[in-house]
Amino acid sequence: MSALAAVVRAELFKMLRKRRTYVLAALLWLLLPALVLLIGRLLEMNLRGTFVDESETVATVVRQLASPFGIARVALVGPALLSPTFYIIAVALVSGVLVGEERSHRMWKTVLTAQPNRLAVLSGKLIVAMLVLGALFAGGFLAASLFGVAGTMFLTTDLTGEWGELVRLYLLQWLFAGAATIFAFLMIFVSRNVSLGMVLVFFLPPLLEGLYSIYRTTVGVQPLTRLNAVFQALELQAAMEALPRYFFTVNLYAPARRPLTDLVRLLGGQPGSDLGPLTVLLRNDTTLLHSGLVMLGYGLLFLGALIWLFLRRDVD
Amino acid sequence: MITNGVNTAIGVHQLSKRYGGSTAVDGISFEVGKGEVVGFLGPNGAGKTTTLRMLAGLVRPSGGSCEILGQAVRGPTLREVGTMIEEPSFYPYLSGRANLQHAALLHGGVRPRRIDEVLEFVGMELAAGKRVSAYSQGMRQRLGLARSLLWSPEVLLLDEPTNGLDPVGIAEVRDQLREVARRGVTVLISSHILSELEKLVGRVLVIEQGRLLYAGSLDRLIRRIDEQLVPYLLLSTDADELCRAAETLGHRLERLDDGRLRIWVPDTESDALIGRLSRLGVELIDARRESDSLEGAYLRLLKQDGRPS
Repeated sequence: MSALAAVVRAELFKMLRKRRTYVLAALLWLLLPALVLLIGRLLEMNLRGTFVDESETVATVVRQLASPFGIARVALVGPALLSPTFYIIAVALVSGVLVGEERSHRMWKTVLTAQPNRLAVLSGKLIVAMLVLGALFAGGFLAASLFGVAGTMFLTTDLTGEWGELVRLYLLQWLFAGAATIFAFLMIFVSRNVSLGMVLVFFLPPLLEGLYSIYRTTVGVQPLTRLNAVFQALELQAAMEALPRYFFTVNLYAPARRPLTDLVRLLGGQPGSDLGPLTVLLRNDTTLLHSGLVMLGYGLLFLGALIWLFLRRDVD
Repeated sequence: MITNGVNTAIGVHQLSKRYGGSTAVDGISFEVGKGEVVGFLGPNGAGKTTTLRMLAGLVRPSGGSCEILGQAVRGPTLREVGTMIEEPSFYPYLSGRANLQHAALLHGGVRPRRIDEVLEFVGMELAAGKRVSAYSQGMRQRLGLARSLLWSPEVLLLDEPTNGLDPVGIAEVRDQLREVARRGVTVLISSHILSELEKLVGRVLVIEQGRLLYAGSLDRLIRRIDEQLVPYLLLSTDADELCRAAETLGHRLERLDDGRLRIWVPDTESDALIGRLSRLGVELIDARRESDSLEGAYLRLLKQDGRPS
């Protein structure tokens, strides 16, 4: 058996015996679809027919929200709208088990003597993280669909929907999570502290992006200030203006947030107009291809740093 | 450098490790033959654990090289090494058996039956189903030993494996290691207590402040400690009488300008020195042991309790 296969088997063995794996699965597979179904039921029971001509609007909302397709879509979109998002929490918790625990329980010395091939150890752990996240995503999709099917028995919903597109977005979101997983591995490994590493995973990208927002609000990019003059001299003005298109979080959740635009349109909103806090989430100046390439760039950058550090660092 | 000798299991050549400005291991060299059981002695902080970590591929040397079974570390032969370095660590939420299963999967190629064999070997078969978080220190030590034997390694690197064990536990672990050695496994076992290794190893390496002080047979080390001459400074009411008495007892002596006498006494006889001089009529005003070389002092302390104060 190859070293990589051995590591994958061993780490799966460990992950399946860790309670937090099942807590995450229960939240995404059971709690979220059950809540959506309950909300759909409450909407239908309490609002339908309250006002003249609103019957169809409520039925539309219920269909969009609590049909098998609707719940599966909410199970994709919903976790990407929290702060920090469910996705990054899941990534950090899974990475914490796979990388952080080795540090906190002083297990690196054991792991790396049982399997001295460090590249295999790192690759195997990354593969297991992606497998666990993939199982969470796939399970979320299936559970949501099944809850939706159950809902058809007491709600005015059916099985229609663009299922192929939704599956594609699930798949893309899972692939995009790969860059976040490598980032989480890197932060937890570099910080040598699970808690600090997780805090960095949750807050470092928003912090950097927030700092840019502060700069943009207070100094601005266009007016001629000393700072802007430096950027102009370095011919970085355009890059500075375009920076948000390359932000980590903006691109990371691009597939999961994509259906949100359709939902807003359906409910009468215009993604291009000012929609308050939703404006940031409904960015329509980036394509999925652009986001995919940005996340690939981040992934490769973090992976290079992680491999370099992991292969060199002494184990205490 | 790769050792050519087919009988060398562990080869260390001018190995050193520096952390910032401090040197943990300072250019040590030694070899351990296949099937040999060698003790690695030194006080805490002497560089034993760092050396073992370098041999296990966990720490990169700052200089020199080390090899296992003729291959440079971190080479493929590391798969033939079993280790227990410092306090054994486990996933606390897994049982003892699950921890071994995880290690077996990680290494690959371990028969499922082997887990039962090693658990039985260390006497842990009944407690194997409990979570490790509920284990005592002694149980963790035993489980650590079981894990180090899991893939039937050719080389075993053990760092103070009897730490935290009661005398019965120490004797049991010693018996288990003797059995392991009998099967032809090469064992490098570190300790800071000479007596702990006395009935187990034939050869010892003594390390202090990162440097190798002694490499040779355990018997020779014990003889060397026993025969070591310890310098004493003596002052008596009659210097001539003191000289005659010291000559009568057969000790090498040196007269100092301030009237005192320096004599060298075998360590084994030092406790009886003052009584013997008194019986020969010497009235001593002052008698004190003179500080001797670091090596000599260390070797004596090693025999007494292994830990310099």
